[in-house]
Amino acid sequence: MEQSGTSTRLQAAVQDLASGVVSALRGGDHAHVVPPAGTDGEAGDLALAAVRVLGADALLPGLLSRTPPDPAELAVFRKAVEAYPPRADAAPTVRWSHWAMARTLRRADPSSAEPPDEPDTAWLDDATWQFVTHQLAVLAPLALPGEDCAVSRLAAGRPVDVARGFVRAVRRRDWRQAAGAGRWLTLLPGVPDSVGLEAGLDFVELMGGQDPLVALQVQAARRMRTGARV
Amino acid sequence: MRTDEKVIKEVTGIQAADIEAALDPVEADGVYRDSRQCAALALLSGATKLLLSPPTPRPKKG
Amino acid sequence: MTAPADAHRTAGTLRTAAGDALAWADSRRADFALGEDALAADGEVDRSWKPLGELAQVCATVTRLTGPADPLHARARGLLDFAWQETREGELFLRLQRLEPFATYPLEVYAALASAGLRHPAFEQAAAVVARTRGWRLTEQDPTRRLGVLRAEERCGIHRFGQAPPELPQTWLGGLPEPWTFGRDAGYALTHVVFHLSDWGRDASALPPDLVAYLGDWLPPWLDTCLEAGLWDLGGELLAVAAIVARTTGEDIPGSDWGRLLEARGPSGEVPLDDRDLDDIAAGPGSDGDRYFLHHYHSTLMAAFAAVLAGARPAERPGAGRRPGGQGAPA
Repeated sequence: MEQSGTSTRLQAAVQDLASGVVSALRGGDHAHVVPPAGTDGEAGDLALAAVRVLGADALLPGLLSRTPPDPAELAVFRKAVEAYPPRADAAPTVRWSHWAMARTLRRADPSSAEPPDEPDTAWLDDATWQFVTHQLAVLAPLALPGEDCAVSRLAAGRPVDVARGFVRAVRRRDWRQAAGAGRWLTLLPGVPDSVGLEAGLDFVELMGGQDPLVALQVQAARRMRTGARV
Repeated sequence: MRTDEKVIKEVTGIQAADIEAALDPVEADGVYRDSRQCAALALLSGATKLLLSPPTPRPKKG
Repeated sequence: MTAPADAHRTAGTLRTAAGDALAWADSRRADFALGEDALAADGEVDRSWKPLGELAQVCATVTRLTGPADPLHARARGLLDFAWQETREGELFLRLQRLEPFATYPLEVYAALASAGLRHPAFEQAAAVVARTRGWRLTEQDPTRRLGVLRAEERCGIHRFGQAPPELPQTWLGGLPEPWTFGRDAGYALTHVVFHLSDWGRDASALPPDLVAYLGDWLPPWLDTCLEAGLWDLGGELLAVAAIVARTTGEDIPGSDWGRLLEARGPSGEVPLDDRDLDDIAAGPGSDGDRYFLHHYHSTLMAAFAAVLAGARPAERPGAGRRPGGQGAPA
């Protein structure tokens, strides 16, 4: 399917943002992951939309390193949360992504509003392992140590299914899905050892790591494997 | 010009639908390349195939 | 997916599919026949002995897992008798051995027939003489194939005393590799390890428990991706492996995977090897019969093999009454 010009530009902006997160996760500077507020007009719109699409992971480096967030960064993040609430008929992943941002905002700045009520996980109740893995990979920002929400509980109940989905994604060369599933697998109890997760993450990075969205998930997984907590 | 106007509208027009599409992507098509094989170099195969391994489809000579 | 009615329908569908596949094979006896170049120095063994051996191997399992009154049983028995006649009741194995004493394929093909009770004592004695040499025992082969030769030797009464088969750990499957490293060649290697260890599905309990657990975990994504890629032949082999594993674990038949394989069948229930050149070949079964046969015979045999294994589970004593009331009506 051909993407609209807008959608292509949005994807490019998301990739730029993800690159910043990746270098921050690798131990570089993380103060300027989110572009400063005050950029008006189209560039500002695009940047804000990109933060909304990248979601809670835009603040992941600070969260994992327990560094207080940069106020300007936080302001943009807050603006993205407020500017793009999910529509009433939005897909579950859209609603959950927004919920994750609100939750992260609250963590980063306890003076923020309480996150709204959790959406439900009914859409995954009878889902195949293939679909569950794809949806969880899209919701990889929810894969955080100590996270307790309906999605993470659902994932914890299906470790073998997510591991199968990881294998399937690698076989299909769907590196984004593989990376997102790999990040979940680092956290789930009951994943069969034979999956070879550490080598798997290296492999996914080798094959797909030039895509910042892949690299971000792999880096996040590695940081969490080494015991980072939120 | 109308064309320019249209371009500008496209540039600035980030719709909620674009964001929602990015947040709810369809699964990418699988990419497979399992079909190529290279026999061990300088090793005659012929009669050494595994019993019940897949046949090599090729027309019979002559 | 697991409702009894669905399971019943699936069982009926698989029975019909197995019947159609074997009927197709039966209709191609002329293509399975050995032909005049079976003993010729430049004869193509992969075109003569290999298909016949594969036919015998699959039919040997079918006769073992079905009751004598079952039409599938009768069909498979008839095909075994045909194959045995093609070898002139085993006489050709003896002649083949004189021509190529250190080739392993005569023993491998013979073992398939022997497992169905078709034996030629003089050939077995001759094979035992050759198998006593160090040279035979040191034949260099892939570990998976090696395992098959060892099993063929045992079937023919040749035992390597005091030698536990060291081949399993050297195979891809035996090493329990990362499942995402699976590919076409690894797939064919692993299915054959399972076939050899389980005596072609007749003794599923011989699979080591760690292999059963490993296969139970990873067969689903392998099957899913092979079928998506149109690798019907390998997909059929994996479905056979899944059925063998399920005979010990009691898991459900993977109905949706079966559905995709059955969708790929040709007009008479034959299954293509893969999607490559299919438009070309499928111009019609009659247009280039030989090519059509080579593109379909193996995958069709595999589908029959897998369907019979799936229908026969869970493991029961050979010949015991099967699935009371569960004999699916033709769909």
